[in-house]
Amino acid sequence: MSASDTIYATGLATTPDASAQGPTVDLARIAGHALPFLLPVGVLLIWEAAVAAGWISDALMPRPSAVAVAAWETLVSGELFTHLGVSALRALSGLLIGGSIGFLLGLANGISDLSNRATDTTLQMIRNIPNLALLPLVIVWFGIGEGAKLFLVSIGVFFPIYLNTLHGIRNVDRQLIEMGKAYGMSPATLFRRILLPGALPSVFVGLRYALGIMWLTLIVAETLSASSGLGYMAMKAREFMILEVVVLSILLYAVLGKVADIATRALERRTLAWSPVYAKS
Amino acid sequence: MPSLKAERAIVHERTDIEPAAAARAAGHVTLEPGLRHPDGAAVRIRGLNKSFGGPRVLDQVDLDIAPGEFLAIVGKSGCGKSTLLRILTGLDTPQSGEVSVDGRTPGNNAADIRLMFQEPRLLPWASVAGNVAVGLRQDAHPGNEADRAVAEALKAVQLPEKAGVWPATLSGGQKQRVALARALVSRPRLLALDEPLGALDALTRLVMQALILRVKQETGFTAVLVTHDVAEAVALADRVIVLEAGRIAAEFRVDAPHPRPTASEEAARIEARILEAIFHGRTAA
Repeated sequence: MSASDTIYATGLATTPDASAQGPTVDLARIAGHALPFLLPVGVLLIWEAAVAAGWISDALMPRPSAVAVAAWETLVSGELFTHLGVSALRALSGLLIGGSIGFLLGLANGISDLSNRATDTTLQMIRNIPNLALLPLVIVWFGIGEGAKLFLVSIGVFFPIYLNTLHGIRNVDRQLIEMGKAYGMSPATLFRRILLPGALPSVFVGLRYALGIMWLTLIVAETLSASSGLGYMAMKAREFMILEVVVLSILLYAVLGKVADIATRALERRTLAWSPVYAKS
Repeated sequence: MPSLKAERAIVHERTDIEPAAAARAAGHVTLEPGLRHPDGAAVRIRGLNKSFGGPRVLDQVDLDIAPGEFLAIVGKSGCGKSTLLRILTGLDTPQSGEVSVDGRTPGNNAADIRLMFQEPRLLPWASVAGNVAVGLRQDAHPGNEADRAVAEALKAVQLPEKAGVWPATLSGGQKQRVALARALVSRPRLLALDEPLGALDALTRLVMQALILRVKQETGFTAVLVTHDVAEAVALADRVIVLEAGRIAAEFRVDAPHPRPTASEEAARIEARILEAIFHGRTAA
């Protein structure tokens, strides 16, 4: 048994003790909680076994236990947290900058026809440029500094949030808007009480889509031009053929993506509690 | 057709008069003293015209509604009844002519004129109480008084226990009752009802009719109901007007006291007359 297997096995074993109430009900509940993890744990086990049996070359694909050891080593040396922190900071600042601009422009263009006619065509043209196509230009402009990553991530997250905010505002129930006007709501109240909450579900769709683009852009940017961050860590390890670290950074992207998704879902459930989709049964 | 053998009709109908004469006569509506209410708005419409580019939707309409009166407007689809209601509530503006509610142009006194739509149109992201609070006057400050007004309105529509829930958890009839509470919470002087019960099932509709009648009698606002359910018009209204191609084609008084017996012969008789006016009145001529 390898270290990673032990970690998963203990994780499973402790769950029932923590929430022990009634033995019959609990078994079903544990099974329900464990179900989503069955597949990844199974894949890890098969992977470990395949490398151990020699079906897969250790030089091309390090086994999970070796990756776990690499994770531990980089963790102890502090390298892991430094790179992880740098990457997370870049991702979040890019999301904040690009997302805010996209959200505000989406609101403006959804509400004002003038603003929409002035800017939407231009934005639609820019949208069709893959943001990573700007990479050579961005390297010339910003070098390998922070500006380049921020710029690319901001542009990447801008469009999904802009488009979905615009779509959300446009698709707010006209009947509700008419009701608001008939009940004497001022434009500011109408926006706060009807347009904004009505557009919110769509904004969240944009946000979750933007999170995917955020990681993708960041990884590519860090891999090609950076002196820190997870992508840089992976590239440096490749040069020395330390494949455990390469696999480790790939797995970390998966974890980070999942964490971002969980955070968004929690926010969504809180903000959209009124929606029947999130109704507590 | 139901038999028309009522010994003494309690309903006075005027079917055979010219539209202009009907409109003129409508200017002198006198209500029983009990039906007058100081809380109701007086409505005065003179020479009202409206078209949306094509033929006139409303054509020289003259209409007076006495304070506290319950008026029903019936007619075929596209006869202009909803447009008339929208102009009355300030959602549309007249092309020409004069419309005044309490001597003022509709639209400037929104909280005194409330409109109930065919759909509940509740904000899904606000609680039931929050939705009712939408109907508070714009100058109302949030606080105990506003909370009390919301609670009272919810009590009036018999839904006090639902104050904290989301609208999505309510049935169709309950949603429409919340919409009624929202319309009533500002204590309007004129309540306009645009087929508010059209989407409800027959039983819920009867319950809602009784509810509307009860709050109407308790608070005494002037009510204008647009409906294509003639039975509903006869059950609720003091006066029923038939709109035909933008003109008032006929007018009926319904003087029976509330609560009116359902499916009475008198009611059936007046319903038959109204239906005749709708389908054969002016179009047959």
